[in-house]
Amino acid sequence: MKSGRNHAAIGIILGLGLMSLGLTFAGTARADEPLFGYLYTTDTLPKGKKEIELWSTLREGRSQGDFHVWEGRAEVSYGLTDRLQVSGYLNVAYANVYHNVPSGETAPPEIFADYSVGADKRMDRGRFEGVSAEAVYRVLSPYTDPVGLALYVEPTIGPRTREIESRLILQKNFHDDRVVIAANVTVGQEWRYLQGDPAADPSTEDFRDHWDKETDVNFGVAASYRFRPNWSAGLEFLNEREFAGLDPFDPGKRTNMAFYFGPNLHFGGERFFVTGTFLVQLPGAKDYANPAPGFIVGGITNADDFEKYRLRIKAGYYF
Amino acid sequence: MKSRFYLLPLALLAAPAAAHATTYMSVEQAQALMFPGEALKPDPRALTDAQVAAIRKDSGESPLSRELKAWRAADGGWFILDQVVGKHEFITFALALDSAGAVRSVEILDYRESYGGQVREAAWRSQFVGKRHGAALKLGQDVKNISGATLSSKHVADGVRRLLSTYALVLAPSVH
Repeated sequence: MKSGRNHAAIGIILGLGLMSLGLTFAGTARADEPLFGYLYTTDTLPKGKKEIELWSTLREGRSQGDFHVWEGRAEVSYGLTDRLQVSGYLNVAYANVYHNVPSGETAPPEIFADYSVGADKRMDRGRFEGVSAEAVYRVLSPYTDPVGLALYVEPTIGPRTREIESRLILQKNFHDDRVVIAANVTVGQEWRYLQGDPAADPSTEDFRDHWDKETDVNFGVAASYRFRPNWSAGLEFLNEREFAGLDPFDPGKRTNMAFYFGPNLHFGGERFFVTGTFLVQLPGAKDYANPAPGFIVGGITNADDFEKYRLRIKAGYYF
Repeated sequence: MKSRFYLLPLALLAAPAAAHATTYMSVEQAQALMFPGEALKPDPRALTDAQVAAIRKDSGESPLSRELKAWRAADGGWFILDQVVGKHEFITFALALDSAGAVRSVEILDYRESYGGQVREAAWRSQFVGKRHGAALKLGQDVKNISGATLSSKHVADGVRRLLSTYALVLAPSVH
């Protein structure tokens, strides 16, 4: 019952926030990018244009127990030049989990890894995760060059987290620019300040409070078709790989890998846009760090930063 | 509880569907502006498969519609109403040709995007004046790119090139 109430509470916050934005601007509504929930395209704001954007991401379900994580972002973007866009974000998160790991215990989701929770306790808490800055530089335009190319960098800093995310963005358009194909390669290097584990080997850093380091390498491809004015629909595919430490080229440090796939829907108007993507984890996941049975169930991984379903909605306004 | 939760974002998706459109100029206003004091006679055409294919081959662009909305001026000129794909919606534009098939003027009737409205500026549109069938009309070559409005400026240039092909292949006196 408690889980249900919390679940509903997240939904009310998410829904009311997004609906209020939608209702506020529906009168003058029209919109723009992003076409995808998880993939990026090479489009940037023209010089002097501004945009505000809200992200809401639900991460749902494990092979056991309760697993509900909500991540929220508020973003302000500005076109410094016609090719260079800069943004700032506020990042918050909420978790409601219980008996969510294969051992049957409760463990914090990765985004809450610096918190501790009793093995038989429900974790039910929110947090301010940190602030991010972002810069996107468009090298080639998909409208005038054979392929669009953009470079992206996003540092994040929070009370107990640091991250630097780098991304290569490719885009190819077809059919009067109504069909958009995008591909992304993302490398994210993360530091999380974790509490020492008294049960760990005293000679290891896990025994003491320390900065845990991890690298995410994600490959993504997506396609979108503008099937009628203002409306686009498409598909997104992600391959996410995690590594212990900061070297993504050391196969001995890989911890797990998963695939996600799902549809998206985008409305873009003159001022307002909203994009929704729903992803399902596909079979084929690997858990290199936890080869014991139970971590891969039905071909999907249930550890670290992975779950069964993801729903992301982005809504924004141009001015 | 769960089902209510997931339906809330869907309500948001439906909210902006009633958004309004912006029309800067009616067809009649465009005709009066582009052919002042001249009578225009409707002369619509239904493009055949062969004509569509020929236009596509000649201009590199496919007509969005088989209905060619054309009006003939008393002096032999033409007023053609058409659309190109904008960032989110169609951009409605009109092309005025003189009796020899050269561009007299281009006007944007509808433009509904959050930015890129520079395609409506007279200075940018004036670069099409005098262009005839066969002109490249390529963005960044004989047509200036509008930085920050690349898609719109590219599609308008493509649209003018397509209509010049349409004139040469369908409307020009030499065709008949």
